[in-house]
Parts: sequence; C-alpha cells; structure tokens
Amino acid sequence: MSGTLTLFAIGFFLIASLVYLLRRRGSEEEDVRWFRDRDLAIPTAQFEDHRKEQLDRIFGFEDWDFIRNSTSNRIQQLFLKERKAIALSWLSQLRMQARAGMDLHVARVRASEELEPLSELRLAIDYYAFLAKSGFIAVIVLIGGPMALRGMVGQAESLSNNLRGMLRAAMEPQGFSQNTRIR
Amino acid sequence: MELRPDQPTPVAVEDALRDLQNRTLASLDGDFARLVYLASTRDYNSGRYAHDGLNFRFTEPVAERVLAKAHRQVFVSLALSPLKIVVTHLEQYIRSGCARPDEILASWGELEPFRILAPEYDDPITVKLFISNVRIALAIVGASWRENQRH
Repeated sequence: MSGTLTLFAIGFFLIASLVYLLRRRGSEEEDVRWFRDRDLAIPTAQFEDHRKEQLDRIFGFEDWDFIRNSTSNRIQQLFLKERKAIALSWLSQLRMQARAGMDLHVARVRASEELEPLSELRLAIDYYAFLAKSGFIAVIVLIGGPMALRGMVGQAESLSNNLRGMLRAAMEPQGFSQNTRIR
Repeated sequence: MELRPDQPTPVAVEDALRDLQNRTLASLDGDFARLVYLASTRDYNSGRYAHDGLNFRFTEPVAERVLAKAHRQVFVSLALSPLKIVVTHLEQYIRSGCARPDEILASWGELEPFRILAPEYDDPITVKLFISNVRIALAIVGASWRENQRH
C-alpha cells in the first residue's frame, strides 16, 4: 500500500514538474516576443538625446544653489524631497532596463545551441556589479538624505554608461553565439 | 525610404512648423503659455492633435505631425530647463492675465492640471522632472505673490 502511494506521489511530482516547465517555457517565448515588439530593453534614441541634461537637472548643483539662495526653508525641504523621489525613480528605471535586457539575453541564450561561458560570465559579473553600484547610490540617497544627491552627476553618469555598455553586450548576437536563434 | 502617399513630406512638415511658430506660438507670452496652448490642441480621448488653421493651409496629417513635434519641443525644453527659468516662465504665464493669479495658484496647487501638459510617449523621468519642477515653481511663485499682496 505504501509502495503504491510513493509511486503515485512520484508520478504526481513528475507531472507537476512537466506542467511547470512547459508553462515556464511558454512564458519565456512570450517574453521574447514582447521584448521584440516593444523593444523596452534598450533605452530609445529619443530618451538618450537628453540623458546628460536630465542627469544635470536631477543630480547637479545649479537648481539647489538657486533654491538655497533665494527661497524659504519650506521650499528647500520641498525641493529636496522632490529631487530625492526623482533620483530614486531614475535608479529604479535604470535597474528595470538592466533586468529587462538580462531577461531577454537569458531567454535568447536558453534557445541557443552554442554557449560561450566566458562571455556569459563576464556579462553576469557586469550585471551584478551594475546592480551593486545602483544599490549603493540608492542607499546613499535613502540614508544620506537628499543632501547626498549633490554632486553625484559623475556617479550617475558612469552608472548610466555601464548600463548602456551592458545592454549593448547583452544584445550582440555574436556576444554569445553565432547560431543563436529564437524558438 | 519611400514615403506613403498619405505620409507628410519633411518639407511640408517644416513649412507648417514655421507657420505655426510664426503665426501662433510667437504671439504667446512665454514657453508655459505655448505648452498649455499646444497641449490643448490634443484631443483628450483620442490623443490626436488638430488645428483648424493648419488643417486648412496644409493637410490634417501634416497639422497633426507638426503639433506633436512642436508640443514635444516646447515640453522638453521647459522640462530640462534650470528651475530658475521654469519659475520665470510660470510667473510670466500667471501674470499674463489668463485668469486671476490667486485662482491659478490655488487650482494648480490642488488639482495639478499641469500633469496633462506632457506629450505622449515621452521619457517617464523627464515627465516626472517636469511635474516636480512645476510643483516647486508653484510654491516659489505662490510665496512671492503672497508676499507682494501683504505689502
């Protein structure tokens, strides 16, 4: 009796695993189609045009100097609160783009016939280094308070450049396989 | 790349843009007024732009393209301007007499209608930056207006 039950449990586990894997593969294929349709993984050219100005506005000194020299404490607090929220949104957008790029890359790699472990390892290291750096900036912004935002243009710009480089590497077909194909 | 028959030619778009800038936008007082005007040419439901004068002088697709382009140009220029400039433009708009300053300050502060001034498909961070800057600029202009009223 107990032997039958064990066999039944193993059979059920195998069927459940099969269903899970089939569903997961289906959703990965959908993800690939979705990325190709929306091209969300790569920041579009129109957004990139204003990257520098945007970072200057969010992290630069100019606006803060104006606010500090010509407005009341209440407005200064409002400014710092608003800039902090935008800085966190910007970081979150960057992380989302990186995650989307990596998801697309992983979906492609799973469908490829040949892998280049070294390139994959390099990309994985870049990805986790990027996550660590953006996490570090987020912690500075959160714990250090809005004042910590001042003068972070350089850090922010280098983070943004890291993301561009990483996404470019993830999107290059020759980066992982000449025989890659999307199933 | 070939143009479809119904697709506006770049020359027509440039002509229409110049026409819009010279005849309409030039007469408006400051970038804020221009932004409010251009956003108002977009239908809330369909998101499509329309302008009778441009439709008449050019074609509907040309007018739509030009209004969208001008809207985006003015929006991006204002959204990425230093806060000091945003404050100046907002002050200019509020003093232009389209409504009583205290009414504009109160309704913009409460309802935040400036949220719909952003064009469609723009970078979400630029849109957030614009909304945030207008919020701060409103606080600055409001404080200075109240100060003036007291004296």
